[in-house]
Amino acid sequence: MTGIATAVDIALNSLVLGGVFLIVAIGLNIIYGLSRVMNLAHGSLFAIGAYTGYTLVASGLNFFVALLITPIIAGFVGLILERMIIAPMRKRSMIYTLILTYGLMFFLDGMIKQTWGNEPRFIELPIFMGETLSILGTHYPVFRLVTLAITAVVMIALMLFLNKTRLGIILRAASTIPEMVSCLGFNMNYVHIGAFVLGSALAGVAGIIAGPLTTIDPLMGHEMLISSFVVIVIGGLGSLRGAVYAAILIGVVQTLAEFFITDLAMVIVYMMMAVILAFRPLGLLGEGKFE
Amino acid sequence: MMSDITSIPGDRPSAAPIKIFGFAAIFLALAILPFVWDNRFYISLITQIMIYGLLAMSLDVLLGYTGLLSFMHNAYLGIGAYMVGLFLIHVSPTSLWLACLVGVIFTGAVALPVGWVQVRTGGLAFALLTLAFGMMFHTIVWKWYSVTGGDDGLMGVPSPDIQLFRWTVGNTGDPTHIYLLTLVVVAICFVLTRRIIRSPFGAVLEAIRENEERAAFVGINVRRYKLYGWMLACILAGIAGALFILYKGYIGPTTMSAFAGAGVLMMVLLGGMGSLWGPLIGAGIFIYIQDYITTMTEHWEIYLGLVVILLVLFMPTGFVGMGSYLKRMRRN
Repeated sequence: MTGIATAVDIALNSLVLGGVFLIVAIGLNIIYGLSRVMNLAHGSLFAIGAYTGYTLVASGLNFFVALLITPIIAGFVGLILERMIIAPMRKRSMIYTLILTYGLMFFLDGMIKQTWGNEPRFIELPIFMGETLSILGTHYPVFRLVTLAITAVVMIALMLFLNKTRLGIILRAASTIPEMVSCLGFNMNYVHIGAFVLGSALAGVAGIIAGPLTTIDPLMGHEMLISSFVVIVIGGLGSLRGAVYAAILIGVVQTLAEFFITDLAMVIVYMMMAVILAFRPLGLLGEGKFE
Repeated sequence: MMSDITSIPGDRPSAAPIKIFGFAAIFLALAILPFVWDNRFYISLITQIMIYGLLAMSLDVLLGYTGLLSFMHNAYLGIGAYMVGLFLIHVSPTSLWLACLVGVIFTGAVALPVGWVQVRTGGLAFALLTLAFGMMFHTIVWKWYSVTGGDDGLMGVPSPDIQLFRWTVGNTGDPTHIYLLTLVVVAICFVLTRRIIRSPFGAVLEAIRENEERAAFVGINVRRYKLYGWMLACILAGIAGALFILYKGYIGPTTMSAFAGAGVLMMVLLGGMGSLWGPLIGAGIFIYIQDYITTMTEHWEIYLGLVVILLVLFMPTGFVGMGSYLKRMRRN
């Protein structure tokens, strides 16, 4: 393999990894921005997405059909959680909601283990996605390119939704001044529900596209949760643009670190986060909303 | 921010004689226990409860008094334990106190830069960062096979003699001796921490918990005091770690996992935040229940999660809160 081929490989891998981080982190960010709940069970929803995708594909469904169904199921799980557990806690202080969602994370992880067991699972891909494509000398798996395309489509759809539709504009307004939106006659309860469902659905999408990239195991949610924290914290809480930059940055750093030192790759990522926070406590594009 | 945490019950300036008497009575009862009740299993379980109680108490300094949430306080127990174990294995298998000192100082040395970064952010980011750094330490311990033993953990830690001024009073390998050592150390830590928390320093920490902005306006250097609180909590956790490795003679990476961290958090919640002695009781309840449930089911995670959810939803003040609630009921 030539140097250029390796470089292309690394660059594409970084984008794929960064893309998955981005979708999970944006979901987390939307929930936080709109309902001021930092959902620590978000990684578990990601894992639920991956396992649901696995079950759907294993039962004979086409991968792309599963891709459409998974976010709906994840969103539904999110809806139930929001109504039953998160909503009663909305008035309490931040620390309680953090501990609550932390408990929720272990509960969901336990349920995942109970349902699907401890063994790693693999999503069967359509045949054409298992092949490789030759780009500048490297043979790149088609599946990863498809992942990249899906990420792009999801992000563009999200941007259009938030910027062009009436609902999206209400949501953005609610993330800045919730009281004003409430005064204009919009029920903030629906905004909170919408945010949670949307965020959970995004986690579900990320789950099913990340499934074939790695193996699916009950702990995958934990790692993803931490990675998406790092993305949010570095990008700045509540800042979508910051999250995009941070996700790509983390993708690049983690891919490079995995390429060179394999095992301790995450340590490098944490170190980088520590250094960035030491100089910019609010993150790269933070809006000063750490509360 | 933390307005719905109950304030400390009881009188502040000086401990009432009845409290001192009660404390002494409990201490003596626990000290006599192994001589009258010859049950190895329960003596060992109580040792474990005391060690985790110390850890939970140190988390309470952070959570209940300073208003900062640390998800993975067990990481600092782990760091202390690994360091003491490594010192005993590689440097000197007999010098107990030196090993403990090195372990605790090392824990502080690791906690200082981490705390320095963490206190620069707000409450929420602080909590997220404790999780990220905790996971980092877990990963390091898990993957650095040549030093920590990786998945297998640190095995073959020697059990040194307990020496006091050249007298050998016991050996840490003996369950009764390590029980008594743990009891004495935990009692000293409890008294000292209580003293620190009731000093003006503790009042500053509570001021930060109640209203950070106002504390800053009064002229308190909020970041610095948060860092002091963090260091106090981490050093106590390091002491718990030293006791842990002496008690078990073994430590593996699961002790430092996020799951174990949730357990510590649950001990504090069960007992009640902001009381110091509450978490000790919480640790007792937690470890006893855990011991009971793990023999019945392998899906302990589900129950842990469920109990945390129910606790936060319905009993946020824990055991201590229940006590003061009953007292108020009786008064009315």
